[in-house]
Amino acid sequence: MTNFIDYLLGGFSSGAVIALMALALVLVWRSTRMVNFAQVGQAMFTTYIALTVLQSTGNWLLALVAAFGAGLVLGVIVFFLVIRPVKNSDTTGAIIATFGVLIALQAAAGMIWGGDPEGFIPPVSNAGLEFAGRIWPVSWYDILVWSVTAVLVVGLTLLFTRTSLGLSMRASAFNPEVARLSGVRVNRMLITGWAIAGATGAVGGVLIAPVSTISPNSFDILLVFAFTAAVIGGLDSLIGAVTFGIGTGLVISLVSGYTDASNAPVVALVLLALNLLLKPDGVFGHHTARSV
Amino acid sequence: MNTVIKVKNLRTFSGNRIVWHAVIVGVVWLLLLLLNNNIDPLYSSYLALVAMYATAMFGMTILVGLSGQVSLGNGALMAVGGYVFALTSMNWQTVPIFGWPWNAVWSMVFAGLGGILIGGVVGGLAARLKGPYLAGLTLGLAVGVPAITNRFPSLLGGENGLMLTVPYPQGGYAAAAAAEATDTIDPTAEPGLDPTAAPGEDQYAELDLSGFDQGIDPNAAPSAEDMLTEGDLLTAEDLTNGNDLTLESTDPAVDPSIEPSIDPSIDEAADPTGITDSFDVGFILERWQASMAIAVACLVAFAAMNLIRGHQGRVWKAVRDDPIAAAVVGISPASSKVSAFVVSSLFAALAGAVFAQILSFVGPGAFGLGLSLSLLVGIVLGGRASLLGAILGALIIVWLPELVDGLAGNRGWPEQITNNAPNLLYGLLVVAVVLAAPGGITGTVRSWVDKSRGKSRSPLS
Repeated sequence: MTNFIDYLLGGFSSGAVIALMALALVLVWRSTRMVNFAQVGQAMFTTYIALTVLQSTGNWLLALVAAFGAGLVLGVIVFFLVIRPVKNSDTTGAIIATFGVLIALQAAAGMIWGGDPEGFIPPVSNAGLEFAGRIWPVSWYDILVWSVTAVLVVGLTLLFTRTSLGLSMRASAFNPEVARLSGVRVNRMLITGWAIAGATGAVGGVLIAPVSTISPNSFDILLVFAFTAAVIGGLDSLIGAVTFGIGTGLVISLVSGYTDASNAPVVALVLLALNLLLKPDGVFGHHTARSV
Repeated sequence: MNTVIKVKNLRTFSGNRIVWHAVIVGVVWLLLLLLNNNIDPLYSSYLALVAMYATAMFGMTILVGLSGQVSLGNGALMAVGGYVFALTSMNWQTVPIFGWPWNAVWSMVFAGLGGILIGGVVGGLAARLKGPYLAGLTLGLAVGVPAITNRFPSLLGGENGLMLTVPYPQGGYAAAAAAEATDTIDPTAEPGLDPTAAPGEDQYAELDLSGFDQGIDPNAAPSAEDMLTEGDLLTAEDLTNGNDLTLESTDPAVDPSIEPSIDPSIDEAADPTGITDSFDVGFILERWQASMAIAVACLVAFAAMNLIRGHQGRVWKAVRDDPIAAAVVGISPASSKVSAFVVSSLFAALAGAVFAQILSFVGPGAFGLGLSLSLLVGIVLGGRASLLGAILGALIIVWLPELVDGLAGNRGWPEQITNNAPNLLYGLLVVAVVLAAPGGITGTVRSWVDKSRGKSRSPLS
């Protein structure tokens, strides 16, 4: 039982990061109806930028802000250079193009920063806290991860429900044609969606970096977890992405704890396959009739 | 969109077509074998790699190009073929009949069956999915399947993988190769060997015993692992390094770890003049690997040509272009998608078995996400919906890293840049091709030709 609680508590941090990546995937899906397989590549790239800032200034908050800004910019760049030109072409091409971006970003990062895994020094202690006579698998850093994630999720919720920008974004996601007729600048909303997604992923990357290490390929597995969470959540539900992002983190932590960490990708694969078989539209998604 | 089916095509007697395909493939096969026997063994190993990639990419042509399902799982399906081949060839060693390595043939058949089985299961799942969902599921496959090897370290070798003895012919082919090698190979390259010694019959009897029960070379294992766990797209140079190691391990006279397994009495009785050594120089593993890879690629190409240009090819295209219209005329979209998946995973598994023999090794690092991505890159650059495109894609995947290496060697670029330059090029080229020329090289060339003839059709048809 103690083990169970430990594994469960230990899963919340990775769950939070998976939730952020899944959120990024969902934000992109809502704006352009495509899965951005380059999302973790973008996050990896901005995390390296954050690492550079951290190494030169020693200021973690500055590094986080740099990653956030770089994520916004990179999202817009990818959208303009790749996604907008390919958008009207076949869906196969769009998927392949995002993988092309992923390969290019990983190679570029390898060129600039080298392929060796690098450590990312956390701003607060990463050691388990002692409380009530025992050491818990929760550190000050975990608490920081939860807080940043919570702030970001609350911020996004407020943006989408309380601001006119959020309303316009929801409108263009729900029905681009009608939104355009009602005067919403749909194209601008798409760009905003990609930018916010890029920034969300960037924050996730900075948060996970001290726990794992960072190398050009180190976030590949995160893409599988985030995709699993986003699809189970319904791919266009923000609340679904957060819920199942954390849920995926917990399941992976339990499986890794009770068996072996190398089982995690297999578990993600099984979760994904089961979900796609039993409830292909996701738990929070709504069924869309196929158009002829 | 080429929706009008030409009546002429339907009336063509399919028997004629099969004969034509057989002639084309047969001529290409002969030319490739001639090429293989007359080039430096280093180039033979490139040839083997190109043939191996082409085999896997023929499957991608059918799956991605014709059936329209973007899969990243074919690297994982290659892993299935590779591991099945390694396990069956190591555990089921048959006596060579007429000097041919039949256990390679049986193991290849089992690898193919394994591919069909897994392909059927994954295809059944995949047929319910479309677009990004399928890509995501197969991405999970590409990451998850290599991880499975860690679950069974005693059977599958875990992170270190399995070294395997490449089954090779003991009689005719090897003797011919040996005879030829005594003429062509520079004797100074391997000091201490007698190049004038003619290959005798007795040595093969001795090698029949030693060739199959030689142990895994403990010195070779870590370096092969180092080169393969990098996780990047493999380069031919890595593989030729790997072959050097395995050549050593197949050489009983050189490798001290293997020596004890050979009965010294047989050794002396059968080989009083040191003839065995000439066999060791004469049999060139790279050349055998290349001719085996070429054989598999040609057979797979023949099957793929007949499938694509026959009834089934039209069914796949019909479902890709409009599943509902296809269903209306009585085609089942689901079974069409599953059949494309099964065929492509059969091809992938065979390519995986060939890859295992090229590397003399199977391991999770060799069949990682990088391999799956390189298959996708190759097929997109070469031309998504044509077999010629798959061959061009295989050439690009093998040749581009070498080109960059050569350029970088001349300019003295740092390793960090050189190692990543091919992948950066792949990524940028893929994006450029998708945006500007979705048909890849073959599609674009074909549309130029069509334009000059005043015809027009979809670059993907």
